[in-house]
Amino acid sequence: MSLLAVDQLDVTYLTRKRPPVQAVRGVSLTIGPGEFVGLVGESGSGKSTLGNATIRLLSRPGEITGGTVSFNGQDITALGEDRLRPMRWRDISTVFQSSMNSLNPVMPIEAQFRDAIQAHSRASNGQVRKRVAELLTMVDIDPSFMRFYPHELSGGMKQRVALALALALEPKFVLLDEPTTGLDVVVQRAILERLRVIQREQEFAVLLISHDLGSVLEFSDRVLVMYAGEIVEEQAAADMLRHPRHPYSRGLLGSYASPTAKTIAITYIPGRPPDLSKPHQGCLFAPRCVDAIPLCRMKAPELLPLGDGLVACHVAKMRAEAGQLPEQQGRSWRTQAAGAVFTKHTVAKDPTGAEDILRFEGVSKLYTRRRGFKTTLVQAVDDVSFVLSKGHVTALVGQSGSGKSTIAKLVTGIERPDSGEISFGDLRVDRLGRRGLRDFRKHIQMVFQDPYSALNPAHTVLSTLMRPLINHKGMSRGQAQSRALELLETVGLTPPERFGQRHPHQLSGGQRQRIVIARALAPEPAIIIADEPISSLDVSIRAEILELLDGLVREQGIAMLYITHDLLSARLLADDIIVLNEGKVVEAGRAEDVIANPQHAYTQLLLRSIPNPFVEETAAD
Amino acid sequence: MIYFVRRFAVFLLTLWAAITLNFIIPRLQPGDPAERIVRRLNPNSRTVDPNQVEAVRKMLGLPDTNIFEQYLQYLQTLVRGEFGVSYSYFPFTVTHMIGQTLPWTLVLGAVTLFIGFVVGTLLGAWAAWRRNGPFDSVTTLGATFLGTLPSFWIALLLLYVCAFKWGWFPVGGGYSGDAQPGWNWAFISSAFEHSVLPAVSILLFAPIGWILGMRNNMVTILGDDYTRLAKAKGLSERRIALWYGARVAVLPNVAGLALAVGGILGGSVVIEQIFSYPGMGRLLFEALRDGDYPLMQTVFLFIIIGVLLADLVADFLYGVLDPRVRRGG
Ligand SMILES: Nc1ncnc2c1ncn2[C@@H]1O[C@H](COP(=O)(O)OP(=O)(O)OP(=O)(O)O)[C@@H](O)[C@H]1O
Ligand code: SF4
Ligand SMILES: [Mg+2]
Repeated sequence: MSLLAVDQLDVTYLTRKRPPVQAVRGVSLTIGPGEFVGLVGESGSGKSTLGNATIRLLSRPGEITGGTVSFNGQDITALGEDRLRPMRWRDISTVFQSSMNSLNPVMPIEAQFRDAIQAHSRASNGQVRKRVAELLTMVDIDPSFMRFYPHELSGGMKQRVALALALALEPKFVLLDEPTTGLDVVVQRAILERLRVIQREQEFAVLLISHDLGSVLEFSDRVLVMYAGEIVEEQAAADMLRHPRHPYSRGLLGSYASPTAKTIAITYIPGRPPDLSKPHQGCLFAPRCVDAIPLCRMKAPELLPLGDGLVACHVAKMRAEAGQLPEQQGRSWRTQAAGAVFTKHTVAKDPTGAEDILRFEGVSKLYTRRRGFKTTLVQAVDDVSFVLSKGHVTALVGQSGSGKSTIAKLVTGIERPDSGEISFGDLRVDRLGRRGLRDFRKHIQMVFQDPYSALNPAHTVLSTLMRPLINHKGMSRGQAQSRALELLETVGLTPPERFGQRHPHQLSGGQRQRIVIARALAPEPAIIIADEPISSLDVSIRAEILELLDGLVREQGIAMLYITHDLLSARLLADDIIVLNEGKVVEAGRAEDVIANPQHAYTQLLLRSIPNPFVEETAAD
Repeated sequence: MIYFVRRFAVFLLTLWAAITLNFIIPRLQPGDPAERIVRRLNPNSRTVDPNQVEAVRKMLGLPDTNIFEQYLQYLQTLVRGEFGVSYSYFPFTVTHMIGQTLPWTLVLGAVTLFIGFVVGTLLGAWAAWRRNGPFDSVTTLGATFLGTLPSFWIALLLLYVCAFKWGWFPVGGGYSGDAQPGWNWAFISSAFEHSVLPAVSILLFAPIGWILGMRNNMVTILGDDYTRLAKAKGLSERRIALWYGARVAVLPNVAGLALAVGGILGGSVVIEQIFSYPGMGRLLFEALRDGDYPLMQTVFLFIIIGVLLADLVADFLYGVLDPRVRRGG
C-alpha cells in the first residue's frame, strides 16, 4: 500500500483583488514507504503548493478545492488541526524552501529540537540533548552548536540543522522543498549526498522538490515533472534520463551538459508559463512546444501510461503508438532540438591580439576582522594577477568566501589593494582619488545575482534605462528614449515600446535580468562585472541569458569578469578561467584546458559538484 | 558583553554632551537674569537699581567667575542636586519645585503607560492570532479611528461633561485642599479621585500604538516560515502563539516601552495643563511662560536624562531579549 496517495487534487489561491489562481490542477500521485521521489518544474509551476497541500500546510489564501490526500490509508484532506497535530513531525515532517529562515531567531537550536520532540514524547531534557547531539552529528555538525542561535550559523549549517530537525522523530515521510537552493554547489551536493545516505538507512519516504532536474535525477528513484499546476510526466529516474517523453522534460534536461565535452549545446525553453488565473484550452505547454500540432491547441492531453511511466502529451502518445521513441537510446534524443539551443564549440579564440583593458598585477588585500576583543587578519586576496581584455570573458570561480567579491570591489575601486597594481590603460586604479574614481566608474558596470531587488519597482523599464543615459552620457530626454528602446532591442525584448512601459513586477525573472543587462550596457562600459547573473534564474532560462551575454561581449567588445561557482556556465561563457581558493589563484588558464584537465583538488571538487545527470554517458564517450 | 559595554559608553557620552549643552545654551542668551528678576519684582519702575540687582545676584548665587570655573561649579551642583533658585517660585529652589511635582507626573505617567502597554500588547496579539476575524476588525478599526481624534479635545470634552456638567469628578488639581499630603487615606483617595479624568484621557489613547504595532509585527511573524514550521512540528496552538508569534513580535514593543518611559515627562504637558494637574509638565509650561530659566533648564535636563536612560534600558532589554542584536553588535 502506498504511504501517501494524492488523488485528483486541486488547490486554488483565492485572492480578493485578483481572479483565483488554480495553482494545482487534478494532480494524482503516490509515494510508497521508503521511496525517494523528485518533483521538478519551473518557478511558479505549483511545486511548493502541491507539496504543502500534501502535508496540509497550505498558507492562506491557498485552499484544497478538490480531490483527496491520504496518508497511510487515512484521508487527511479535511482532517481538523487537532487530529492532524499528533501526526505532524512524528509521521510527516518537512524542510522548507527557505529553510534558512525557518528557524526561530530568538531560540537556541537545542530548544527548537526540544519543543518538537517533547510535543510528541515524554523525553526528558537530558534525553533530548543526547538525541540532538546524535542528530547534529548525523548531518556533520558539531553537537556544541546546539547552544547557538540560528544567526550564528552559516547558511549551509542552518540548512543541515533544518534537515536534522526534520528527522528528529524518525518520520515516515519528509517533504523537502528545495532544501539546498541558494547554497554553494559544493555544499548543496554534500548535503544531498548525506541526505540520501541517511534516507537509505532510516527508510523514510521523501518528496524532493527542486527546479534543478539534474540533481533530482541523480538522487531520486522516481521523478514527477510539473508544468503549470499539472503533472506532465512521471517516470523512473533512469528512464527519464534515457528517454524523456514530454517535450517539456526534454527541454529541462537540455540545460545540462558535460562541461568537458568538446562541443557543448544546452537548450532552453523560450517563453513563459501561462497565467493560471485565466481559462485555457488545449495543452498548456503548446505555446512553447516545438512539437505542437493543431490538435494540441484544441484538446488537453491526458496523463496516460506510456512505457513504464505516465505522460501527458498527444505527440508522445502518437509516437509511442507508432513504435517510435523509447528505442532511441543514449543521448540521441538530445540532438533533436527541444527548444532554442546555445552551442559553444571549442573554437580557439585567440586572446593574444585582443586589447587589454584591465590589468591586475600581484594584488593583495588583507582585512582585519574584529570580533569582540579579538582581531583576526583575513588574507582576502593574495598575490592575484590577471588581465581582462576586450571582447573576452574571464571567469572567476571559487567557493563563497574565496575572495571573489573582494576582487570585484578592487576592480571597481571600492576597495584599495594593500600591495600590487591595478591598471586601466594608463590609469592606476589603486591610486585614484575620489574624483578620479568617479570618472573611472563610468567605464564599469555590474550585473548582480538577483534581478528582483536590482530594479526599482516604482520605475518603468524605460525610465530605469533612461536615467543612466541622461546622467552619465548627458543625453536629452528624446535621445535617451530612443537609445533606451535600442537597448531593449539589443537584449531581445521586442517590441521595445511595449516592454518600455512595464514595471518590474510585470516581467518574468529572465526578462528582468535582461533589463538589468540593458541598464549595464547603457553607459557603454568597457568592463562588465557579472556576479552570478544566472544563479537565481530558472534552469530553463539560464542558457538564454548566457547566450545574450556571450553575444554582447563579442559584438560590443566588452571585457567581462564573470563571477560564479558553476563551472558549466563558466565553460560556456568564458575564454579564461581563474580558480580562486582562500584568496589565492590555484589554477588559471584557457577555459577548455582548465576544465578538461583540472589540476587543483578544489577545481576537481567543483567539477564533480556540477549537477550532471549524464555523468555515466560522458564517461562512456 | 561587548555590546552592553559599548552601549553604556555611548550613553555616558551623550549624557555628557546633553549636560554641557544645557550649560551653554542659557548662557548664550542676552541679558542678565538678575536684572530680569529685579524688573519683574518692580514692574512699575522704569529704571533698575544696581544695588538691588547686585543683591539678587548674590542671592541667586550667580557667579562672576570665568566660564570654565562656572562649568566646574555647574557640574558640582548637578552632582549634589542643587539647581539654584526658581525665578517664578522665588524663594523656592528648583529642587524643591521638582520634588513637589515629579512624583505626580511619574505616578500618573507610569501607571497609565504600563496599563496602556499591557492592554495594547495583549489586544494586538489576540487580534493578530485571530486575524481577519471580527475581534481583529473591531480592534484595528477602533484603534485607527480613535487615533485620528485629537486627544486634547477628548480630554476637554471629558473635563466638561464629567466634571463641570455632572460633577462626578473634581475639575482640576491633584488633591483637595483639606487633605494633608502623606500616607493617609483622605489624601490618597482624594489624589486618586483627581487623577481619574487625566488617567482616562491618557488611557483612551495610550494602547493604540501598542495595539497596532503588536498586531502588525505578529501578523508578519505568523506568516513567517518559522511559525509555519512550528505548526508543521505539531506544536500546540498556545506554544506557537506565545513562543513563535508573540515572543518575537513583542520585541519592538518592549523597546518602544522603554522609550515611552523616557517620554513621560515631556509628554505630560498638555494633559496636566488641561486638568491643572500639579505635575512636572505643568511646571515646565509655567517655567516657559514666565521665562524661569533655572527651572526650565533643570526640567529639560530631567527630560533629557529620562530619555537617554530609557534609551539605554531599551537597548539593554533588546540585547537581552534578542540574541541577534547581542552578538551582532
Ligand atoms: N499566497 C499566494 N497567493 C496567491 N497566489 C499564490 C500564492 N502562493 C503561490 N501563488 C501562485 O501559485 C502558483 C504556484 O506557486 P508555487 O509557490 O507553488 O510555485 P513553485 O513551483 O513552488 O515555484 P518556486 O520554484 O518559485 O518555488 C504561482 O502562480 C504563484 O503565483
Ligand atoms: S500535447 Fe502537444 S503541445 Fe502539449 S506537450 Fe505534447 S506536443 Fe507539445
Ligand atoms: Mg516553491
